[in-house]
Amino acid sequence: MADNAVEIKDLKKSFGDFQAVKGISFNIKKGEIFGILGPNGAGKTTTLNMILGILTPTSGRITVESLDINRDALEVKQMIGFMTQETVVENQLTGRDNLRLFARLYHVPEGQISGRIEESLREASLVDFGDARAGTYSGGMQRRLSLVRSMIQDPKILILDEPTTGLDVQSRVSMWSHISSLHRRGITVILTTQYLEEADALCDRIAVIDHGEIKAIGTASELKRMAAQGNILEVTVKDSEVERVNRLIKSKFGIETKVDGDRIIATIEKKSLSTSIKIAQMLEKEGSDVLAFSMHLPTLDDAFLKLTGESLRDAVSKDNTDNRAAMYKR
Amino acid sequence: MGLMKDSFTIFTREMLIFRSSIRTNVIRSLMFPLVIILFFGQLGNSVTNVPVAVANYANNQQSMQFINMLEAQGTLSIAAVTDQASAMNMLRSGSVYIVIVILPTFPSSGTVPSVYIYYANTQFSSIGVALPFIQSAAERFGASAGSQLQSQGSGIIVAQPTSGATTSYRDFLIASVIIMAVAFGGIFSGGFSTILDRQLGSIKLFLIAPINKNAIILGKMMSGTLQSVFYGILALLLGLLFGAQIAMGIGGIVWILLLIFFVALAFSALALLIASRIRAIEQYAIVAQMITLPTWFLSGAFFPASSFPPFLQPFSAGDPLTYATAALRQVMLAGYIIPQTMLLDIFVLAAFSLFVVALSFLLFKKTID
Repeated sequence: MADNAVEIKDLKKSFGDFQAVKGISFNIKKGEIFGILGPNGAGKTTTLNMILGILTPTSGRITVESLDINRDALEVKQMIGFMTQETVVENQLTGRDNLRLFARLYHVPEGQISGRIEESLREASLVDFGDARAGTYSGGMQRRLSLVRSMIQDPKILILDEPTTGLDVQSRVSMWSHISSLHRRGITVILTTQYLEEADALCDRIAVIDHGEIKAIGTASELKRMAAQGNILEVTVKDSEVERVNRLIKSKFGIETKVDGDRIIATIEKKSLSTSIKIAQMLEKEGSDVLAFSMHLPTLDDAFLKLTGESLRDAVSKDNTDNRAAMYKR
Repeated sequence: MGLMKDSFTIFTREMLIFRSSIRTNVIRSLMFPLVIILFFGQLGNSVTNVPVAVANYANNQQSMQFINMLEAQGTLSIAAVTDQASAMNMLRSGSVYIVIVILPTFPSSGTVPSVYIYYANTQFSSIGVALPFIQSAAERFGASAGSQLQSQGSGIIVAQPTSGATTSYRDFLIASVIIMAVAFGGIFSGGFSTILDRQLGSIKLFLIAPINKNAIILGKMMSGTLQSVFYGILALLLGLLFGAQIAMGIGGIVWILLLIFFVALAFSALALLIASRIRAIEQYAIVAQMITLPTWFLSGAFFPASSFPPFLQPFSAGDPLTYATAALRQVMLAGYIIPQTMLLDIFVLAAFSLFVVALSFLLFKKTID
């Protein structure tokens, strides 16, 4: 279909006995911001690497703008801009030389290179730093440089691997507005993220991926609806009480619950308000030490929990530990 | 067309990075050669008391003066013996390093030598100083010293002297230091930068760019070669500064550059080949040292390859650096070229470079990520 920027069909990738991606299929529409959400090791990066052409799929087919990525590898690569998860800049080169290097690698016509470089520096608010070595930049500046560099050739598709991981709040917000503005320009954006609010705020559609499989795909509100009809009740109690309270709610009200740390999470599909009040009264009568009691509409986190059986918050903290460990290894 | 342009882009990037830390690169590349020349280059310069046996068949006044002159500066320690046979026995047993035979015709002005010098090639460092000293002393008496003859173990006498015996040890060493600077430069700078590129992710960015993988290899190989040639030229200049000479004159520079080029190309390609398979810099350093040090030592860096024990000879003969060093010494020390030998040296170097280059293209493409 001509409406799709990327089409993925039955994509599989194995490393030895380990199946990292187990036959996934999805399409990414032209001009949308498509999010790939999943915990570490879910197969996000493997999938991206196959779209980028640096990993060869074990089987399956990927087409980008109706071109097969194997047959027309160079044309496809020309259309894709990519920003890595870890900021990669040429530390010893100046900002300008960084941009010039990639303008040449992406075959920007020689006459247009200088113009593109200045435009990119303006876009990244780095005009005054163009002749300083990128190694002297702050983290946020390097990130902005790597973003404009990944778009030096005016790509049709931009792939961002966890674009805001490790950024402070301000830089994150400015990155979000940057991504949104790309969207308005008509660029197709594919991004992976571990932040639910990021996926929620930015993405037109989201694929939840776990253990190499797509668990769900849809808009943020579709996913939330998928998670639950009705409302979500969250009861936070003292650690020692978790089991007793959980048992009480289950037995007296016949509600399915999930325990996440000191929180007991239940989906109440009908008459959620009055049921919640009854539960509150019951807990009071039983003398439970309730620390917090709340009811809310399903969030993306609830959807994620339901789809993967693991709260993304946990997955993220594990993820960060892994990232840090990986950094120390270097 | 596109391949060359993309390779040049990568090449430019590498050279920009090289230039950005040029001072460190220059200092690092000069450090080792400097240390080697300073410490080992002095071997033999302050030689004293080289044991020499003299058989004086002339027994005239001039011959006595000649012997006195030899003794005067303390360089030689002279033992007078009655006949040549006992002198040669002392040479063979190692109690003297040099035998001087003064013929009855001393000091003849004819074309027939009146002084013969025999030496054991095991003591090259003292020989290197002692021989020119004896020769110049003989020349003062108008005597020609004939060509020096090398004593080999049990046989009587033989062969032309090795080139090392007629020049200073320092000059002998400098040729191999130049080769070392090139080979080590190629292996270390090219390899480390490739591994860093992999660790920091630059390689990934190149791999997703719309360029042929070969352009990455070619670009890196070209820059590695150029940098190594640069290191070689620095070492040559350092050597010249320390008094080495290019016996062949200006024309020799062309040969030197050609030899340096092949070594640079081969070792830059080797660096890519290894670095594409190793992820940790520490590991790479070990492998690189395991390759560079033996190939350098086996090339006859510190003494002529011909004096290696028999079991090492095949390794030395299979070491491409042996040919580079030998050819470079021919140019710098002897000053003339023996066409067949030079042809063989160049052929071996070119074949080895091409082999490594081809292999690195083949394997780098497969293993790099």
